[in-house]
Amino acid sequence: MSRTACALVLVATAGWAQAQALAPSQTTAEAVDWLRRIHQATETLSYSGTFVYQQANRSETSRITRRAGADGGVEKLEVLDGTPRKILRTRDEVRCYLPESRTVKVDRRREPRAFPALLPEQVGSLGEYYDITLGGTRRIAGYDCQAIVLTPRDDLRYGYTFWADVKTGMLLRAQTFNRGGEMVEQFTFAQLEIGNVPRRRLRPPREARDWHVEQAGVSPADLAGSGWRFGAELPGFRKIVEVRRVLRDAHPVEQVVFSDGIAAVSIFIEPFAGRAERAPVGLAGMGAVNVYTREVADHLVTVVGEAPAASVQRIGNTVEYRPQ
Amino acid sequence: MKADISALMDGELEAGELEAALAALREDGEALAAWRMYHLIGDALQGRRMLALGCVARVSARLAGEPTLIGTLPADIVAPQRPRWFVPSALAASVAAVALVGWMALAPRSAEQLEVAVGGHTPIAVPAPKPVVRQPLTAATRDYIFAHQAYSPRNSLQGVAPYVRSVSAEAVPGKP
Repeated sequence: MSRTACALVLVATAGWAQAQALAPSQTTAEAVDWLRRIHQATETLSYSGTFVYQQANRSETSRITRRAGADGGVEKLEVLDGTPRKILRTRDEVRCYLPESRTVKVDRRREPRAFPALLPEQVGSLGEYYDITLGGTRRIAGYDCQAIVLTPRDDLRYGYTFWADVKTGMLLRAQTFNRGGEMVEQFTFAQLEIGNVPRRRLRPPREARDWHVEQAGVSPADLAGSGWRFGAELPGFRKIVEVRRVLRDAHPVEQVVFSDGIAAVSIFIEPFAGRAERAPVGLAGMGAVNVYTREVADHLVTVVGEAPAASVQRIGNTVEYRPQ
Repeated sequence: MKADISALMDGELEAGELEAALAALREDGEALAAWRMYHLIGDALQGRRMLALGCVARVSARLAGEPTLIGTLPADIVAPQRPRWFVPSALAASVAAVALVGWMALAPRSAEQLEVAVGGHTPIAVPAPKPVVRQPLTAATRDYIFAHQAYSPRNSLQGVAPYVRSVSAEAVPGKP
């Protein structure tokens, strides 16, 4: 009997496998609507909860608090394991609080659509690169959830399973899979309360008032105009933005971002001049994020993306400098 | 039937029951699923790195390519051996650990040994793909991930949650 109980618990844990097995292979309008619902829930709900980020057999717990508002709302992320790093995000500003260096990194935009993101009207075009289908249902952190499965049509991107609350559309769990079907990353709420959140819980940390502030100083850029070429883009990855910013107070960097609607890849280009040492060329990563670095024409090219390592490398290898 | 499968794994079935259980494994998908699940539990409880999950297909594929051995096996291989870990008391005591086991068994795989081909957009011109081992992120890479995260469409589905990647403690200290 106890063995049967064991099996049942494990079968329940293996919900993602079931969700994938049950999913039909063609994109359905219902599944696409679910993505819109999740997006809407993210924009409109107030909530507070604890979530676990898992990658490479490691997990880290964080607290998330969001207060909805006419101004786009405020969100706070607090890492609960190790150093208590915090992130505070509003519609047009993200502040990252790093206690070990007593630093606040500020990323602020001036464009009207401050942070380009997955828009409801773009959800439909995702179907060109992914089969979007409904998977199974299961209970997560006390909420009855529906699985929405995104199966990539090629090897250039990861697959995803999103589990959303049937009642509100709130995303309870997000899983990323490689082409072998192995999970590379998971975000999951362990506890969540949807409902009113008092304003005081979203105040900036008081202890950070005298910390050093690093402004990203984001401004528009034209990389093609300064001689940079990105070769043939990977199918489905379209350029969404080009900016200039400053890293760590001193390093001017140009950034161009490509996205297929759900995954994004950034190329950062910075001159070696002014850098104390050269960066190692190669591949690094954590979870679904891969980072590929190489040198091009005395510049350091860093490609960061939530895409398989081979895709990130391919994008990085198309970078060329051809001044006119 | 699940009780029989469990008994089969423990070598506790009589000859007649054994026939029935083996027949069930051949024909009954549920019995086979139970068999695989019990082995997965066993592997996880013992902390084996090679979990039984999904290995059936891989082993079957390997077997299909192996030559058939003709002859008899030594008696000590054939003799039923009761696995030491699977005594009922040990299992009962482990029920509480099962949630954790499931967690471990289904946790995201380490991708540190991920191998990819170097060769850019012209893979055909590259004779032998050179494997590249993915290194752990250095702490300084966080700046790039933080700058990148603002443009990730994932934010529209998850809000601020994906930003945890840019403040994760898992990154190792180091220069970019």
